[in-house]
Amino acid sequence: MIRVVDVHKRFGTLEVLKGVSFDVHRGSVVSMIGASGSGKSTLLRCINHLEVPSAGDIFVDGESLCFRGAADGDRRPRSLAEINRIRRDLGIVFQQFNLWPHMTVLGNVTEAPQRVRGMSRKAAIELGEACLDRVHLRDKAHEYPARLSGGQQQRVAIARALAMQPKVMLFDEPTSSLDPELTDEVLAVMRELAEDGTTMIVVTHEMGFARDVSDQVMFLHNGLIEEEGPPAQLFGAPRSERLRQFVSKHVA
Amino acid sequence: MSESLREILDLQLFWEFRTVLLRGLAVNFYVFIAAAVLALSLGLGAALLRNSRAAPLRWLGTLHVEIFRNAPDYVMVVWVHFVLPLLIGVVLHSRFEFNPFVSAMIALGFVYSGYFAETFRAGIEAIPAGHLEAARSLGIGEGLILRRIILPQVVRSMLPESINQFISLFKATTIVSLIAVPDLMYQVSMITQQQMRPLPLYTGAAITYFVIVLVAGSSLRVLADRWRARIRA
Repeated sequence: MIRVVDVHKRFGTLEVLKGVSFDVHRGSVVSMIGASGSGKSTLLRCINHLEVPSAGDIFVDGESLCFRGAADGDRRPRSLAEINRIRRDLGIVFQQFNLWPHMTVLGNVTEAPQRVRGMSRKAAIELGEACLDRVHLRDKAHEYPARLSGGQQQRVAIARALAMQPKVMLFDEPTSSLDPELTDEVLAVMRELAEDGTTMIVVTHEMGFARDVSDQVMFLHNGLIEEEGPPAQLFGAPRSERLRQFVSKHVA
Repeated sequence: MSESLREILDLQLFWEFRTVLLRGLAVNFYVFIAAAVLALSLGLGAALLRNSRAAPLRWLGTLHVEIFRNAPDYVMVVWVHFVLPLLIGVVLHSRFEFNPFVSAMIALGFVYSGYFAETFRAGIEAIPAGHLEAARSLGIGEGLILRRIILPQVVRSMLPESINQFISLFKATTIVSLIAVPDLMYQVSMITQQQMRPLPLYTGAAITYFVIVLVAGSSLRVLADRWRARIRA
């Protein structure tokens, strides 16, 4: 469903991604782990086109994210309108929640369905409440984000992304700016999504989550995938020396 | 009490001419509203230019801000009313004149657009980049982002400062009598010439402006604080 093909990303002279390729199948959960600076967040942002790859391409259900018609050799970059159309199917949850503070929780969740999908207000509210149910925050629908804890805000951000009914949910270190006691409520919601069959790509430092919930784990180092496989293999029998060190340092 | 002091504090003449004076005050409000609308629109435009990705557009925005923020109100009003029409007349090869009301609106609108541009810009820059990324990631277009995500937040954050600017603008409307816009001060000087008693009318005008600015300013501040409190932690 998502196919990443030889993606490179350069910022000036710094090459953050040096040719990364992988596939994500429908309904699977992929975790990306690695030290900071390994390129995992940049890779995730490329999949939502918040960063534009310097080379390579990403396909969503066979459709190129970067070029108009890769199949017929049309290599012109996509227009913003086209990118926005594809983005609807790629929900992303950020480290910093990024809720819009001037809208209520329900307003945050229904904004895109109404304005981008063109749903009626009534239908969007129904959908928004259903999405808030999935993150167990329906009772906060009419609060403003400033009144919520960090964990609650992040769950609203998840509901906001879900409300676009995306094909895949991307998580960019969703618990890294949360206090430890708030981390669990967010991880619990993510586990439930995974159990419901949501396709997920998760950049995380939560090794417990990566080990228990993912179908596939990728270990990035210096802009390359150093090792990938099922979690039991990566955490139980790491092949590379770097992964072995990383695992011994991060898994209690 | 001395005769002259009684003269200063005697507001009977002011009261006698209240209908004419009120009509003058209404003109102040018309000029204020017209200039405020112009200043806000031009100010937003200049702020967007200054935040634009293209360098020439940024320079244009900066030029606008620097020219008008540094122009004295008085000079601008006179220049727009007496000089600008001549320049336009030369270009059009015909006589051209502004109605005094229009000159007042243009002059004050442009001067205050320089201040409002800076206020808008500060408000726009205060919005975390993540708010915009979140919107983009959901496929929300740039126009909608401006209208639904940026502006509502900017309006809230710039309110306290813009209330001060609205007050300055309102006070600045008192100089339009210079070009014969029939505002309160204009009426005051007309009646003064008729009656040969300047003092009570000027005192009355001063008190009127003071009360209006004080009441409007403080109630706007209270309303703004209440409205902003909702979204703050």
